[in-house]
Amino acid sequence: MDLSFFTDPFVYPFMSRALITVLVLAVASGVVGLFINLRNLEFISDGLVHAVFPGLVVGFVISGTDGLLPGALIAGVIAAVILTVVSRRGVGSDAAIAVVLAGSFSLGIVIVSRETNYVSQLEQLLFGGVLTVTESQLWQIIVVGALAVLMVGLTWRRQLYLSFDPSGFRASGYRTLPTELLFNCAIAFLVVAGSQALGNLLVLALLIVPAAIARLVSKRIGWLVPIATIAAALSGWLGLVTSFHTSVSAGLTPSPGSLIVIILIALYALTLLAHIVVSRLIVPRRALPQLSGGA
Amino acid sequence: MGFFELALIEATLLGALSGIVGTLVVLRKRSFFTVALTHATFPGGVVAAILGLNILFGAAVFSVLLVAIMLGISRVRRQGSQVASGVVLTFGFALGALLQSLNRDMSIQVDTFLIGSILTVSPGDIAVTAAVLLCAVIAIFVAGKQLLFSSFDPLGYRAAGFSPSRIDLLALGLIAATVVVAMPAVGSILAIALIAGPAVSARLILNRIEWMIPLAVVFGILSGVGGLWISRAFSIAAGGSIALTACALFVAAVAFDRVRRYLGSRRKSGSSQTQHVAA
Repeated sequence: MDLSFFTDPFVYPFMSRALITVLVLAVASGVVGLFINLRNLEFISDGLVHAVFPGLVVGFVISGTDGLLPGALIAGVIAAVILTVVSRRGVGSDAAIAVVLAGSFSLGIVIVSRETNYVSQLEQLLFGGVLTVTESQLWQIIVVGALAVLMVGLTWRRQLYLSFDPSGFRASGYRTLPTELLFNCAIAFLVVAGSQALGNLLVLALLIVPAAIARLVSKRIGWLVPIATIAAALSGWLGLVTSFHTSVSAGLTPSPGSLIVIILIALYALTLLAHIVVSRLIVPRRALPQLSGGA
Repeated sequence: MGFFELALIEATLLGALSGIVGTLVVLRKRSFFTVALTHATFPGGVVAAILGLNILFGAAVFSVLLVAIMLGISRVRRQGSQVASGVVLTFGFALGALLQSLNRDMSIQVDTFLIGSILTVSPGDIAVTAAVLLCAVIAIFVAGKQLLFSSFDPLGYRAAGFSPSRIDLLALGLIAATVVVAMPAVGSILAIALIAGPAVSARLILNRIEWMIPLAVVFGILSGVGGLWISRAFSIAAGGSIALTACALFVAAVAFDRVRRYLGSRRKSGSSQTQHVAA
């Protein structure tokens, strides 16, 4: 098979920038997504994704495109603090997260609806534009993404301890609040980094799905981050290639961000099927000797 | 009847329905599931719009499909219900966005699905909402006790000889139907505010469970109608305004709960002080 089919699109600068953006996000979301998966923080991540939206809107209203990043970062940190506090309260916390999530999002909608021509802006914010990432935006994404990875990497042992044994963590004298807060801020940073390229809601897929794939493939903690990163990078690359070729030869204009996510989900579905088949095959083999031994 | 009157009727019906079903969502801790379902109806609406079918129909078909996928994934080891909801949520959203980007000349704007447009709601939508509300009321009167029992104590419910899967199916059906009828009015993303907000506020204020549904219904209607009125008064998006009103009620309920606890703890410490003095 001719490999140029897969490499040709990236001679164009906007395509290679898109690829680098997706690869950066793949690495960062592999690291952060691991702990989201281990600590069941999928819903909180969804909350953060929605909560960044009003920050983007306010930033845009105040100072145009330059205001997007600071606005989103401020909103992300505020939302991380609120969601950390809410989720620690226990009773009815998931419903409270839902209200916070929808509340902040509707705040963004209400502010946007006061602006003229708000439909295209809303779409841009939700679905992003990975092909229109500029050089300076790429640098912003790299810096913010690296910051998120750094925040998790520096507290790696604590995060791991907290994920596997929260009561042991508390008993050995660590305080859970700073660790939880730091991690939720890391999620928020990554969401902010990714939202310009992939859009607010599709970043969530990169945070959740690759880690879920990795959990299906391996039981060893050391393998989870590399597998998740490879899964995300692979689907990012395939998504960009597919979107390039369909728009050039077939004249269709699929949104590349959503194509990446669909391929990622297809990868997940395949892994899930393989996992189910393999576990079905292994279980009878173990059970059989017992049966024959009994007879 | 003008469009605003139609919108008022829809807001009232939807508010009442959200109060009833939202109570089930909150008590059964199904919030993330509901959020995933609301996002999953988005591609259903887009597909229906492309094929020229009724949007409610497309959303209903997709919600049944995705509930089945979610239940399937949540049974696999090392995946669980949170992962299932997350995967289905992002899948629904990406699929909707992809289909929408492939059909740029579609007559309906994408934000109609995402944030709803209660002001363009049709009499047909209102009739469907009323039908679902009727079903929910009947379900509460016939099986309300079982629904609450199974929400609070799933093990005890099973031990008492009831079938947990049947009641779970009833609850899931009601939640899915509510999400579907809410979509034309408040949209996929904001529906959760109207569904969870009134119920969780009612739970914060009340200690007694039997009054939770009535109070949640009142809060739901208040959010729907109040939000609609605010959106007209300040000319802001109706869906966002309804969701924000539900959130404002929630914040007020949290404040009420805090103040009551503070007063309670002060009274307690005050009485222990007087005892101390007396001793």
